[in-house]
Amino acid sequence: MSNAPDPLLQEIQGPSPRQMLKTRALGHKGLLFGMAVVGLLVLVAILAPVLAPHDPYAQSLMNRMVPPVFMGGTWEHPLGTDHLGRDYLSRLIYGARVSLLIGAVAALISGVIGTAMGVAAGYFGGKVDAVVTFLINVRLAMPVVLVALAVVAILGGSLTVVICVLGLLLWDRFAVVMRASTLQVSRRDYVAAAQVIGASTPRILLTEIMPNIFNNLIVVITLEMAHAILLEAALSFLGLGVQPPTPSWGLMVSEGKNMMLFEPWLVLIPGAVLFVLVLAINLMGDGLRDVTSPEGRS
Amino acid sequence: MLRKTSPRAALIAATLLASVAMPAVADEASGTLNVAFTKELENIDSYFNSSREGVVMQRAVWDGLIYRNPETNEYVGNLATSWEWIDDTTLEFKLREGVTFHNGEPFNADDVVFTVNFVAKEENGVKTQRNVNWMESAEKVDDYTVRIKLKKKFPAAIEFLSGPVSMYPNEYYAEVGASGMGLKPVGTGPYRVTEVVPGQHFKLEANSAYHDSPKGQPEIANIDIRTIPDVNTQMAELFSGSLDLIWQVPADQAAKLGQMGQFTVANESTMRVGYLQMDSAGRSGDNPFTNKLVRQAVNHAINRQELVDALLQGSSKVVYTPCFPSQFGCVQDVTEYEFNPEKAKELLAEAGYPDGFETAFYAYRDRQYAEAISSYLNNVGIKTDFKMLQYSALRELNMDGKVPLSFQTWGSYSINDASAMVSQFFKHGSLDSTRDDEVRDWLDVADSSTNPDERIEYYSKALEKITDEAFWAPMFTYNTNYVFTDQVAYTPTPDEVLRFVDMTWN
Repeated sequence: MSNAPDPLLQEIQGPSPRQMLKTRALGHKGLLFGMAVVGLLVLVAILAPVLAPHDPYAQSLMNRMVPPVFMGGTWEHPLGTDHLGRDYLSRLIYGARVSLLIGAVAALISGVIGTAMGVAAGYFGGKVDAVVTFLINVRLAMPVVLVALAVVAILGGSLTVVICVLGLLLWDRFAVVMRASTLQVSRRDYVAAAQVIGASTPRILLTEIMPNIFNNLIVVITLEMAHAILLEAALSFLGLGVQPPTPSWGLMVSEGKNMMLFEPWLVLIPGAVLFVLVLAINLMGDGLRDVTSPEGRS
Repeated sequence: MLRKTSPRAALIAATLLASVAMPAVADEASGTLNVAFTKELENIDSYFNSSREGVVMQRAVWDGLIYRNPETNEYVGNLATSWEWIDDTTLEFKLREGVTFHNGEPFNADDVVFTVNFVAKEENGVKTQRNVNWMESAEKVDDYTVRIKLKKKFPAAIEFLSGPVSMYPNEYYAEVGASGMGLKPVGTGPYRVTEVVPGQHFKLEANSAYHDSPKGQPEIANIDIRTIPDVNTQMAELFSGSLDLIWQVPADQAAKLGQMGQFTVANESTMRVGYLQMDSAGRSGDNPFTNKLVRQAVNHAINRQELVDALLQGSSKVVYTPCFPSQFGCVQDVTEYEFNPEKAKELLAEAGYPDGFETAFYAYRDRQYAEAISSYLNNVGIKTDFKMLQYSALRELNMDGKVPLSFQTWGSYSINDASAMVSQFFKHGSLDSTRDDEVRDWLDVADSSTNPDERIEYYSKALEKITDEAFWAPMFTYNTNYVFTDQVAYTPTPDEVLRFVDMTWN
């Protein structure tokens, strides 16, 4: 008789998969940090009217470029004012709405398009797969920024146009990942079992396939969200994204650019916030992958 | 205050350190003055560009028959020694003898005849037709006497001949044409061009054989001009010593540079006027601006003084006329609209827009000013859909009559006559958003009369109606900042022309 405990027994008596997921998540510092920052910014964006100390559109030309409080300013404008005397903190807070809205909606649109194409290609294979793969290749051959610039230049920049353009351009990664995952999952026994008992195709896709590839989808969504936020900032920086006076972080960087040598905070503050948000979303995405996928466990 | 400047000083120090490796060739010892242009100059041939940089080069490399002293506004002979009106449409010039072009070709009547006949012909494609299309032709009387025929009476002829119309060498130009002239320019001016990298780099050398011109003799031996689009880069190079002079510096940066104490910041007004153009003729379809009350409301909504004090700064002034105050005929006794947002709202309500309305608002330069203006308009209920376009794109939309409201500016090519602005925009041309017959008729009289009193009378009539009806909302005049190192001495003139010949080393 050995004293070693029975491994089978240990597995039965041990924590459930859900509990194990929770433990892994709580032990993952990057995931926690990312979720905390993103959560905070979402809260700030939702509560913007309550939190912002001033109207982000209220111009006061006599109070231009007041420095932030840590550079000799006053608490009246904690982060100073911009080139038109608008409160920088308030614009930053309202800017979070624009960034998060664009990130979320663009990722959602491209997620729906990409997932539909990827799952169809992976499950049906054959001609459907060939067509989808072709479309993915076509899409990958187009430089996103150039196409976005051209479309926005023709249609004119506005929040709606930017969201739609980004939504229609960023589906490629969804399609590639979902196609590969579906290919894997659709060869599993439980899918074959569902087919044998005569389940309809939509039912198999929704109840057998989707739940099992959902983890991957979440990770891609976070990646593309960060991607969309950065692209919006780039477009706005170039003057082709969100139009003034709407506060957008990219636009704020672009507006502060000319004064960069003398008033560097005009660029540094929105730049830093943008950096933190994108970093947090990426950390969250990485964390989610580590926690949910078997390969990532260590 | 001290605490506020320390991070800035650190940054500047860092910039200085970073630039130690660069060759600091810019100083008095080398005799080279390094200057930056912000915009690319597409063609140095002054008849084939329409930019401010082009005017600067034109004044340095070429000469006109006449010269206007920028301080006294008095006309004196340059390549001509005297002139007289033979009749209403013929001018006779006695030319200066002994002048040679940079390539050694002597200047005489043939050059004048060639230049005038070449540029006056529309199919030769001179870029700004208005500068030359008032001339019919030129004919030689003898080697140093020449007559220029005008198409019709044109009292501003002397002003144009002292400005954009410069004399080209006939033999050389016939041989190389406009493109050759652009690459290897030849003129009679105080500086000759030694090197051209189109759009990027120009090297000038003082013309040691320059004739006894009212422009004066060049003192600085070499001028090196580079195109540097970014203001921050220009300033960094100024700190490091690889630039000696920058101009068109935005007001905020100029103020900071002035505070540093190592540079001279000179501010001068320019002839450029900033205004809102409203589609009162209804060319862009039925729009609120066809209503006089709405146009007056727009005029009352703008806080001109605040724009001038906070944004434009320097020697800018509030204007209510669609022309620059110093221009001949630009009478200032017109209807003025004080800043009064309440009155603006009342006028809008009276016009049938108690809740305001929404309109597209176009601009092509000075985004900062345009944003401030749109904020004033939003404030009284005019919601603006802001669109920033390139100048050429906006100009095209405007010519097609698709622009209800836009922020425009006009520099009159530094021509000190109201016809260069009012008549450009209110005589039913493609850029006229008003199309008022009465105004056009008055301007026709004012533009072609040779009697100064009559001209003033008709310009006043036109300007009174334009401001009464609030066809435009003129707002402010521009200024420009010149920043240069303490080694350079220069007094800028109010016409936004950088004159190398007036610069000296300290």
